[in-house]
Amino acid sequence: MISLAELQALFREAVFETGAQQPATRALSRHVNATAGLSSMQHLQIYQRAVMSTLERALEQIYPVCLQLVGDEFFGGMARIFARRYPSRSPDLADYGAEFAEFISAFKPAEDLPYLADVARLEWAWHGAFNAPDEPPMDPAALTAVPAEDIRRIVFRLPASASLLQSRYPVERIWQVNQPDWIGAQHVDLGSGGLNMLVWRKDHVMRIDVIDDAAWALLNLIERGATMAELTEIAELDQLLPGCVQNGWIGGFRVIHGE
Amino acid sequence: MAPIEAQSETRPEPPAQRFGSNAIAGAGIGLRSRHYEDILTTAPEIPWFEALTENYLGGGSPLANLQSIRERYPLTLHGVGMSIGSSDALNEMYLTKLKALVQRIEPAWVSDHLAWISAEHRYVHDLLPLPYTEESLQHVAERIRRAQDFLGRRLLIENPSSYLSFRHDEITEWEFLGALTDIADCELLFDVNNAYVCATNRGIDPLHYIDSLPADRVREIHLAGYEEHHGYLFDTHGYRVQPPVWALFRAAVKKFGPVPTLIEWDTDIPGLDVLLGEAGKAQAVLDAVA
Repeated sequence: MISLAELQALFREAVFETGAQQPATRALSRHVNATAGLSSMQHLQIYQRAVMSTLERALEQIYPVCLQLVGDEFFGGMARIFARRYPSRSPDLADYGAEFAEFISAFKPAEDLPYLADVARLEWAWHGAFNAPDEPPMDPAALTAVPAEDIRRIVFRLPASASLLQSRYPVERIWQVNQPDWIGAQHVDLGSGGLNMLVWRKDHVMRIDVIDDAAWALLNLIERGATMAELTEIAELDQLLPGCVQNGWIGGFRVIHGE
Repeated sequence: MAPIEAQSETRPEPPAQRFGSNAIAGAGIGLRSRHYEDILTTAPEIPWFEALTENYLGGGSPLANLQSIRERYPLTLHGVGMSIGSSDALNEMYLTKLKALVQRIEPAWVSDHLAWISAEHRYVHDLLPLPYTEESLQHVAERIRRAQDFLGRRLLIENPSSYLSFRHDEITEWEFLGALTDIADCELLFDVNNAYVCATNRGIDPLHYIDSLPADRVREIHLAGYEEHHGYLFDTHGYRVQPPVWALFRAAVKKFGPVPTLIEWDTDIPGLDVLLGEAGKAQAVLDAVA
């Protein structure tokens, strides 16, 4: 008798196969009863379709703008190839699809839409911000309590919901004109240039903030864990940093000791 | 299998109650995000809601809405992510998040399915069937016990919809569920639609199912709509409850008593009024027996 672990490993392989003649499906079908209406293979095909449709729907919900841009059929094709190539590692379906942008950027049939992967990155960042844990905004007054000799040891961090993104294409505009409540022209001039963005959530309000190069450089250093001592190399930090704090782009800080 | 945490003989103390009573009775409905606003502004007369666990493991507005609703109604948590039948180790991170959610919203019950969704730590996100063997029984019972110890409460285990049976099955699904409640000391969530779908797909009389389950373990009932495909019924949760399922529900209530009953609707979700109407019908059946 096949063990439970062997059966499950075989079943998992089989649901990602298509049709009846694939090796795992064939092997598994030997353990499955046929019924009056359906062969054992047909019983397994019900699961093949159900699994694929669940995963496809999950990607449609996370990437509605990508879906809109390429259409149902193309999106479904991408979703199915993606599902076979990138197994899910989490029981939470909200974690599924993290690598979709990376997948799209190497997906030959989508190469005519060079901005598509960046739109997917934006949608993944949105999805992450929407589901991020709640946190209170940073209290700027707490900074004044740091002793003068420790100021250079301050390490800021971004909000827990935040993702920093950069694109060579106007993806924020592409995203906006493809929202269900968008009114107006849907035309986007792809040559209008790229941008930097911070996607995050302020309390329960979702934000896509387009940020300038100076703020981008600062937030990038912060994301990499730079100390205040390292940040001082940035020009006009004394204006830039309070501005970022005020916008809510900085989630908190700690003071590191023991160098 | 490594223990998921240092096992203690006694279950942890339940946290102090911050909400009103969490007991449920009567016919409730599944909570869906498109209805949050309606529920919070119109405060419909419905005894309880069931929330899908996985929608609230993060933070943000879903959890904030759930808390607001919990302030007005009792809730249950219904999950698909525990993978209780899997050969993989129990997912500690999932159980830890679930435990935090349970402490936060104090549900009447926490339920998941007699199924598995992962093998070799890869998740398929669809409830896959178990062979009903002694090996499976001992394996699943042990995992339920450990999940219950970790969460500090009993779980409800739901009979799944399934579209196949294994040649090496040793007992029936209902025998498996009955034995499971004994060995794991867990409770049951009886999904009438799933029982009807399974029985029909296998050519079994669904009344056998009801007659064979331990009545004192059935703590909740689910009702939903199936879809007819060529050669089998498919459980889509996207329709009104079908007539044969209502008939089977009446039989279930006769056997199990007026157990709290839920209208489940997961795809093509209609307006709140439609769900309240379906719940009203279920309530009438519960009242007729009570």
